[in-house]
Amino acid sequence: MNTTTKNIFKLALVAGIIFFAASLISKSVDIHQLNIENYSAEKPLFGTDEYQYEAPKELPANDAVATRVKWSLLFFVIILIMVIANAFDISALTSRLTGKQAINSNNVNKWVMLIFMIVGLSAVAWEYSVHGKHVMLGDSASEHGVQLDSMFSITLILTTIVFVITQILLFYFSFRYSKKDGQKALYYAHNNRLEVFWTLIPAIVLTLLVLRGHQTWRSIVYADVDGTKSTNIEIFAFQFGWNARYAGDDGILGVADYKFISGKNKLGLANPAEVDSLLVELIAALIAEEAAVKALPQTIEQLQKDLQAAKDLQDNEAMSSITKELEEINNGDRMDDLEASINRKTKQIERIEAIKKDPKVFATYFTKAEEDDVITQELHLVKDKLVTFKFRSRDIIHSAWLPHFRVQMNVVPGMPTKFTFIPTKTTKEAKAENGETFDYYLYCNKICGTSHYNMKMKVVIETQEEVDAWLKTQQMAFKAMPTPVAVPAVEILPDSATSTKDTTAKKLALK
Amino acid sequence: MSTETLTATHTHHDEHAHHEHHEPSFIFKYVFSTDHKMISKQFLITGIIMGCLGMLMSLLFRIQLAWPDESFGFLETLLGRWAKDGKIDPNYYMALVTIHGTIMVFYVLTAGLSGTFSNLLIPLQVGARDMASPFMNMLSYWFFFLSSVVLLSSFAVETGPASSGWTVYPPLSALQKAMPGSGLGTTLWLVAIILFIVSALLGGINYIVTVLNMRTKGMSMNRLPLTIWAFLLTACLGLLSFPVLLGAGLFLIFDRSFGTSFYLSDIYLNGIGALTNSGGSPIMYQHLFWFLGHPEVYIILLPALGITSEVIATNARKPIFGYSAMVISLLSIAVLSFIVWGHHMFITGMNPFLGTVFMYVTLIIAVPSAVKTFNYLATLWKGNIRFTPAMLFAIGLVSFFISGGLTGIYLGNAALDVQLHDSYFVVAHFHLVMGSAAIFGMFSGIYHWFPKMFGRMMNNTLGSLHFWLTFASAYMVFFPMHFMGLAGVPRRYYQFSLIPEFGIWMNVNIFITVAAMLGGAAQILFLYNFFRSIFKGKPATENPWESNTIEWSTPVKHLHGNWPGAIPTVYRGPHEYSRPDRELDYFPQHEVGNGEPVHYEGPAEVQKTYATDNKESASKVFFSSFAHLFMLRKA
Repeated sequence: MNTTTKNIFKLALVAGIIFFAASLISKSVDIHQLNIENYSAEKPLFGTDEYQYEAPKELPANDAVATRVKWSLLFFVIILIMVIANAFDISALTSRLTGKQAINSNNVNKWVMLIFMIVGLSAVAWEYSVHGKHVMLGDSASEHGVQLDSMFSITLILTTIVFVITQILLFYFSFRYSKKDGQKALYYAHNNRLEVFWTLIPAIVLTLLVLRGHQTWRSIVYADVDGTKSTNIEIFAFQFGWNARYAGDDGILGVADYKFISGKNKLGLANPAEVDSLLVELIAALIAEEAAVKALPQTIEQLQKDLQAAKDLQDNEAMSSITKELEEINNGDRMDDLEASINRKTKQIERIEAIKKDPKVFATYFTKAEEDDVITQELHLVKDKLVTFKFRSRDIIHSAWLPHFRVQMNVVPGMPTKFTFIPTKTTKEAKAENGETFDYYLYCNKICGTSHYNMKMKVVIETQEEVDAWLKTQQMAFKAMPTPVAVPAVEILPDSATSTKDTTAKKLALK
Repeated sequence: MSTETLTATHTHHDEHAHHEHHEPSFIFKYVFSTDHKMISKQFLITGIIMGCLGMLMSLLFRIQLAWPDESFGFLETLLGRWAKDGKIDPNYYMALVTIHGTIMVFYVLTAGLSGTFSNLLIPLQVGARDMASPFMNMLSYWFFFLSSVVLLSSFAVETGPASSGWTVYPPLSALQKAMPGSGLGTTLWLVAIILFIVSALLGGINYIVTVLNMRTKGMSMNRLPLTIWAFLLTACLGLLSFPVLLGAGLFLIFDRSFGTSFYLSDIYLNGIGALTNSGGSPIMYQHLFWFLGHPEVYIILLPALGITSEVIATNARKPIFGYSAMVISLLSIAVLSFIVWGHHMFITGMNPFLGTVFMYVTLIIAVPSAVKTFNYLATLWKGNIRFTPAMLFAIGLVSFFISGGLTGIYLGNAALDVQLHDSYFVVAHFHLVMGSAAIFGMFSGIYHWFPKMFGRMMNNTLGSLHFWLTFASAYMVFFPMHFMGLAGVPRRYYQFSLIPEFGIWMNVNIFITVAAMLGGAAQILFLYNFFRSIFKGKPATENPWESNTIEWSTPVKHLHGNWPGAIPTVYRGPHEYSRPDRELDYFPQHEVGNGEPVHYEGPAEVQKTYATDNKESASKVFFSSFAHLFMLRKA
């Protein structure tokens, strides 16, 4: 056998085995057979929406598919390793037998280069045709998304062309110009004209892309600069969930502030009655904490007594928990926590009082616009109507991502952000395209803690009438509230700094 | 000035001649060594160990992503209460992701890559006896070592290691109660990073001073190997950007522990209540972080590109195509990298006008990157390529650089970033262009300079096998991720089985995990080859790759002071391969020639064929390469 026949034989062998393995995989990796139900065995741990998944009731038929995938992949891997190892062995063996130069790994590598190029590019083509269907989740469901998608398509086509050409050149050159005995490389150090040529071409192409991108970007971010054309909806993010707030009949979102957040007033709206009852709560908590600080020596005594009792009863569980608590008190952690909490609450009361005291500031906060605001767990939007999301975070940075609408914006505590767009496809239309189980969602897309992966809100696009009807079924923030509790008139002395928090708390408490 | 340096090092060497008789004690030879070659080995081996740990972490969280609803007994054995019932805890998943990122970016690809090869190659390739300050060099390694220990020690903390992503964005990282990992774990992370920055600065200053002041006679800047250019620019980048991260880290420490409000404002934390912090901005941290973070990408990539340039030139037996274009593109990438950080922040709520500005400068970077790619291709063209493992990895780097670089054009576009930000597309992009490409540069360097480091050869067959398996598995892992991202799958999600739309990706996730395991298994080949060859490899010759650069003129057995006699003088650039006027296809920099000009343009007939005044030549050469490609013409 001469080298060419040998090489062709090797090539055919390797290609055959790889194709065999590939066909096995492509048979088993049939995404249309798979249903999500089989993979969602657990209920969500967190999340505010009512969408829950049930564990599969019977053994899913597709388990067999999954197992086949696993085994065929493993098989593929083993075959691949064997083929490469054999290729090396064969060449080593033949060279020993023929007495020619020891391993010519250069030739093996050269052929693997070519094979890798062919198999790799076929795999890329397969990816484009199979997974490419899901790219950008079908047509955009928003107006600016159409422009964004066309920008994407242009970039995709350009980069794919460049990708294919450059990768082919790279692997083909490696294959074609591999070492041959007696051959010398071409001494060719530079060619200015050529270099200018391939500097200018990318520069021109990129300039065109940038200009187009600039246009698209402007159309997205400057959709409603002065904020007069669109309906405002507040999107409120917290660990780990979302709320939407609608402006109600007056069309104005009431003022909200993190200082006003309480158990009942989860979004911290500036409602006088709510804020007053929050003050009452805070003062009561302050008194309790002050008392706890004073009572620390007694607490220690009591705990020691309990510990003795637990020892007598040989209750190990109680003993360890009491010891832990004692340790917490003795090393000062408890005291630190209480002091920090007192400090926080004093500051919060001071700040709220400052707002209440100054009539001008008071007027900017308490506008009564919040009374008819509607707070919801789902987001319902009107089709073909400009909407502006006003984002607000309670605790840390979240990011609201609505992939079907090409909408994404970070939600930053202490810094209001917004996004304006027009949804163009109702949920009904989307269901008709994607199946009955389909729903739009808003995901959290900035790492935000333990349950980041399940922080989502259902989004529904409807007609104006449907949204209005739905809003009526949702509760208004304060209209249905009971009459406000009587609040003691609280006054803080101007010199009440943090150092005198004990006395401040007392004064607050007394009044 | 250079003669002064020369005499100074001469006397230094003479002093050494007296000391050479008695070997330094074990501790000063292997532990507190001030010899740059030993320090580079220390960096390399620490880097390899950290790399293995980082890779194992990635395999652990890949298992979780592939089989989210199954339980694996061995996970509970391995991780204890962090994997109750054989399922990784969400907090621990985040911690793994965070520490994997930190280790790979800082400890492997910054210290492991730049630390190893800058230390090894700068003195050897510029012709110096050692670094400008060997003691600082030693400190640099020990700060790095200490930093690694502090970072890993956070796994022993009750609340777990830092888990707010490798970028540790506040407020998540600033509020100790926001998630378990934000407690002591994040404090340790910050301490580790500050130690790391000290190490990086000590090293960087040294590299710059050595390259600028200690070049041997005749080693002008335009005769520097491209590795040295890359290391020099890398060190400059690090020196200018790492202090900013130090500042950001200190502010974060203040916010966490001393009640300041640099990054905090208007926060109500569940279970705590309204915090007193007011007036700070979390976005400020992101600006400070990415002011390091983006140059950091190039701190990682430039050394890999430098190594690749030398390896490709040596093994293609051709001068690197367009030496000055390569230097200029390195330089412009380095400069531009300082003004593009905002492309990480298009959708943070930053002023949209800034988005436009950052989009413009970001896409400009694609031009020098494209020039580099074309120059690599032109270097391969009509070469006489030897597929050493180093060369294979260098070719792999170019392939990754193309694939990952092209997706950068999507992400640098502010409009497209609205959709692609923080999706799997981003994961695929940076793992190809920065992760895989840089790690391939590192492998390439290891295979190429192993004989210089340890005086022995690595096994080529195992090396090739290692390359093909790693190459294939890297593509199998990261290529499908592009499509996941484009279909709206967010990154850093602990499991995808709770969202029905992601169901179609379940078997892709399994595929990726299996491919990652294959890649992991391939590294066993490398580890075996590496550690076995240190002790039992074939003894190396002085210049095994027939290379031009002057490090190959030092004896195989290491000397403190590198050259036994005088430091060689350099007569020409580093890429005089296959010159038609010579019998041998290489021409070492230090070999005395017969007075040829600095820029040898090739013999008259070559100059005639490809002369710049020949109007057709550029397009002819460019298109003739296509003709060759489709075998229409014979070469």
